[in-house]
Amino acid sequence: MIAGKTFHEIRWMALAYLLILELLCVPVLMWWPDLYPELQRSTLLRNLNIGDFARRIGQGITSDDQDLAYSSWVALMLFLRSGNLVGIAAAVLLGTGSFARERENQTFEFLLSRPVSRGRILWDKVWPAALCVVVPLFLVNASAMYWSHVIGERLQPRELFLATTHAASFALAFLLLTTWVSVHLRVQAHVAAIVGAFAVLQVGLYLTQRIRPYTLFRLVDFDWYGPILAGNTRAWQMFDPWNGPGYTTWLLLGCVVFYALAWRSLARTEA
Amino acid sequence: MTDAVISVGGLVKTFGDRAALRDVSLTVPRGELLGLVGPNGAGKSTLLRTLIGLVQRTRGRVAVMGHDPATQSLAIRHRTCYLPGETGVYHQMTGQQFLDFALGFYPRHQAGLRQRLQEGFQLPLHQKVRSFSAGMKQKLALMATLIPDVDLYLLDEPDRTLDASMRFFLRDLLLAMKRQGKTVVLSSHHLGEVEALADRLVFLLDGTFVVPERLAAARASLRRRPRLRLCAGATLPAGARELLREPDGTLVVATDGDPMQWLRSVPDGVVESAEVGIPRLEDLYAVLLHDPTNGGGA
Repeated sequence: MIAGKTFHEIRWMALAYLLILELLCVPVLMWWPDLYPELQRSTLLRNLNIGDFARRIGQGITSDDQDLAYSSWVALMLFLRSGNLVGIAAAVLLGTGSFARERENQTFEFLLSRPVSRGRILWDKVWPAALCVVVPLFLVNASAMYWSHVIGERLQPRELFLATTHAASFALAFLLLTTWVSVHLRVQAHVAAIVGAFAVLQVGLYLTQRIRPYTLFRLVDFDWYGPILAGNTRAWQMFDPWNGPGYTTWLLLGCVVFYALAWRSLARTEA
Repeated sequence: MTDAVISVGGLVKTFGDRAALRDVSLTVPRGELLGLVGPNGAGKSTLLRTLIGLVQRTRGRVAVMGHDPATQSLAIRHRTCYLPGETGVYHQMTGQQFLDFALGFYPRHQAGLRQRLQEGFQLPLHQKVRSFSAGMKQKLALMATLIPDVDLYLLDEPDRTLDASMRFFLRDLLLAMKRQGKTVVLSSHHLGEVEALADRLVFLLDGTFVVPERLAAARASLRRRPRLRLCAGATLPAGARELLREPDGTLVVATDGDPMQWLRSVPDGVVESAEVGIPRLEDLYAVLLHDPTNGGGA
C-alpha cells in the first residue's frame, strides 16, 4: 500500500524524467552524421589540453574509426551528460520527498503509527523510487539502439546494457543518499540543497586537476563508459572491485551502505 | 496477561535537558475511557506517543496489552489505532483514496460505525483532501482512526477544529465504543466534555499527573472565583479582590466567602454580568500553575 502511494506520488515526475532523457537523447544521436565530419575537422578538439580526460574525449569522438567515434559520442552524451547529471537530478528530486515530505505535510506521525514496520516503510518508499530512477535510463538507452539504426550506426546491446547498469548504480546511490538525508530533515528543500550542494562540490572537484581522481564523478566519467561501450570490458569485470570497471561493485556497495544508514536512522527516529 | 490494557510505572521522558514526562504512573483497565487533560506542553502527546512506540522512554516501565512499546511496538500497533495531534492526511489523495489507504492496514473494520460516520460527517469523499477545510480533514482522520476494529484507541485531541455539534456527535460515538468494551484514551482541551464522557479524568501538568486531591482543591478554589463584567464606571465592591483582568475587561475575582452570597450583596448597577460555576480549563491551569495557596504550584 505504501509502495502504491509512493508510485502515485512520483509517477508524473518519473514520466517527466523519462521524457527529458529521451528528448536529450534523440537530437544528439540524429545530428551525429552531420556532426562527425565537423568534429573531425576540429583541431581544437583533437588537441584539447585541459586534462587527460578531456584529451581522451576529444580523441575519442574525433577518431578516424567511425565506430569508436560514435561509441565515444554516446558515452559522452548519453552517459556522461544525461545518465549522470539528469539521473542524479531525478534521483535527488525523487528521494527528497520520501520522508521530508511526510514531515512537511504532517503525515510522518500518521505513517509511523500504522501497523507496519519501519523497515517495510523504508523498503516501500525506496523500491518504487529506485524503479522510477533506473527504468527510464534503461528504456532511453535501449531506444538509442533504434535511433542509431535510423542513422546507420550500430550500438551493441550487451555493451549498452553494461554501461547503463553502471550509470543506474550511480543514480541509485544518489537516490539512497538522498533518502538517508531525507529521514533526518523536516523540509524537502533542505534535503535537495544538501545533496545538491554535495553533487555540485563533487563536479567542481572533478573539474580540478590533481584532485580529480578522488571525486565521485571519477567513477562515472568517460574513462569508464568509453571502454565499456567500445567493447573492451567483459561483464564479469564490471563486478570485480579490484579492477577499473569493477567500480560498479563499489557503487552498488554504496547503495547498500546508504540504505542501511537510512534504515538505522528511521528505526531510531522519534515522531 | 493482566486485565490492564495500559500499565505505566515511573515513566520519564526527556528531550535534551527538558523533561517532558516525569515519573508518570498510570493503569488503564480494559473497557475504560480515560480522559487526559492538560495545557499545551504538559506531556499529553508525548505520553500517547510513548504508548505506541513513536518516542522512546528515557526511564520507567510501559506495557500496552502486555507488550513493551520500545521493543514490540508493531504488535501494539496491530491492535491500536492512534490519532495524531497533527491532522495527518494526504492532500494529493481524494478523501476516499485516503480512507482506503488508511483502513487498508487493518484487517477488520466496524462496518456499522463507518456507515454512521459517513452519515454524520457528510464528507465529500470524491474530492481531493487539499480542498477540505481543517474541520473536514480532522473528520477524515477520525474516520481513519475509529473505523478499524481494534482493542485500543489513542486519540490526541480528537475534537480539535470540530464545531460544537460535531463534538457532541463524537462524544456519542465514543460512548458507543465504550459500551462495546473498547478501551479509549483521549486528550482534550474541553474539560466539561471530557468530564461528561470519561470514566476517569487525569490531569497532566508539566510532565506529571496532578494528584486528585490537588485538582479538587483547585476546582473548589475556582468555584470561589466568579468572572465578572462591571458596569461602566463601577468599582469592585468590598468583599472581593481582583485576581485577573482579561483583555475584554472581564475580571476574575476572589471572594472572601461564598461567591453567590457576595454577589447577592452587591448593589444594583455595579455588576453587569457574572459567571459562577464549572471552571474553565484555562482557569484551572492558572490556579495549578500560579497559585500555590490553592494547592497549585507546579
